[in-house]
Amino acid sequence: MVEAFAVASGKGGTGKTTSTMALGMALAERYDVTVVDADTGMANLLFHAGLADVETTLHDVLVEGGVPVEAATYDRFGMSVVPCGTSLAAFESVEPDRLRDVVAELAADTDVLLLDSPATLNSKSAVLPIVLADRVVVVLNPTVPAISDGLKVQEYALSYGSDIAGTVFNRVRGDITGVKAKAERYFEGPTLASVPESDAIQAARSAGVPLLDHAPESPAAAAFRTAAGRLSPNDGDHEDVAERFRTAVIPDPP
Amino acid sequence: MIPDGELLRSRVVSALSPALEDALDRELDGYALVSPRNALLDSGNDRGVITFESGVATLAYHTGTDRGGPPALADIGSPPYQFELYALAAEALELPHRTETLRIPPGAAAERLAGDAELAARVRAAVADDGDERSERDAVEAFLENEAAVSDIRDAARTDALERAEEWGFSEALEE
Ligand SMILES: Nc1ncnc2c1ncn2[C@@H]1O[C@H](COP(=O)(O)OP(=O)(O)O)[C@@H](O)[C@H]1O
Ligand SMILES: [Mg+2]
Repeated sequence: MVEAFAVASGKGGTGKTTSTMALGMALAERYDVTVVDADTGMANLLFHAGLADVETTLHDVLVEGGVPVEAATYDRFGMSVVPCGTSLAAFESVEPDRLRDVVAELAADTDVLLLDSPATLNSKSAVLPIVLADRVVVVLNPTVPAISDGLKVQEYALSYGSDIAGTVFNRVRGDITGVKAKAERYFEGPTLASVPESDAIQAARSAGVPLLDHAPESPAAAAFRTAAGRLSPNDGDHEDVAERFRTAVIPDPP
Repeated sequence: MIPDGELLRSRVVSALSPALEDALDRELDGYALVSPRNALLDSGNDRGVITFESGVATLAYHTGTDRGGPPALADIGSPPYQFELYALAAEALELPHRTETLRIPPGAAAERLAGDAELAARVRAAVADDGDERSERDAVEAFLENEAAVSDIRDAARTDALERAEEWGFSEALEE
């Protein structure tokens, strides 16, 4: 019984990592949650999770002859967190396809997997988290570029057989009822929440901890809890989880 | 012309800055009744009405002189004031706010009534921000109303995704 979500936007700085950590913490109240920094080229989840100084990261798992994923898994904020390192050299030696096995392994032992996804759609490794996910949470800002990139993410997800869990409007200022209503005509799934532009989010980022740890009572935190409540992860699916992810996409020829 | 709102506070104040700042911070929609303290002793007719739109004092009217706009601010007189603040749905104020003769420039209440230039500057900055927000929002809504443009983006993305499926080894995942 696991459901894997990719948190994606096709654009940088929309709040994917902020959302991943916030949704993770909110879901962790009811589920066993694992979050993975699947943005292996531009990792930054470690800075949101108080893990900036750890030795072993996903990079060390994804290299040829790498360490097992447990070595890069940390218990933080009531979740299992798999951060990724920021070294470009390490990224270049990574074999992105191994993410599939890592996800399969983690999936065997958790209820909800959240994959913090890259900000582009221009490479196989950038798109892989969306392919591996059961459902995609599309993070939008109320701007034209962010919404068009969100539409692209949705098309990629649907093309590769992943469903859309819904959209999160982040960095919202003022009343965007009209924008939301119009966007809902194009996006599958509900608007999960509107998260306001928030000093608390900036402050949490500066403190290197997730929003729900730093300012659990803030309106932004409440919005993320609402979004998490609307995700209602599937439980009860008893197929062989590891197998499901390994065969989610056709393996490369040897 | 303005329906009754929900009374938020009623008190005697010697300076209006804190009250105006509070209205700005909470982006209040509503109105304030301002009367010089001694006016309470007589008719009670002599008061200023100031309405707020998203925390910004937008309109002024004086019941005693029947003047509106900036002259009404001058008619209100000097502190201490009896100050009553009411919240009201923004829609209820939409019509009065279109009455040009009653409007005051952003920051005018802070400057002329409270003598607070700094607060006036904050009010004007907030109005400018609101303008940016609104034009951004208008741009987004216009984009979303352009169904052809949205379809083009989606179609192009779908074509890309299908084309790359083979190259990336995702063919198996393709939706039929
Ligand atoms: N709602 C918000 N209000 C204010 N700042 C935000 C908000 N959401 C995100 N941010 C800030 O924007 C920056 C980018 O957010 P992040 O979650 O790292 O985006 P992404 O992972 O999509 O690149 C961070 O500094 C974060 O603190
Ligand atoms: Mg990120």
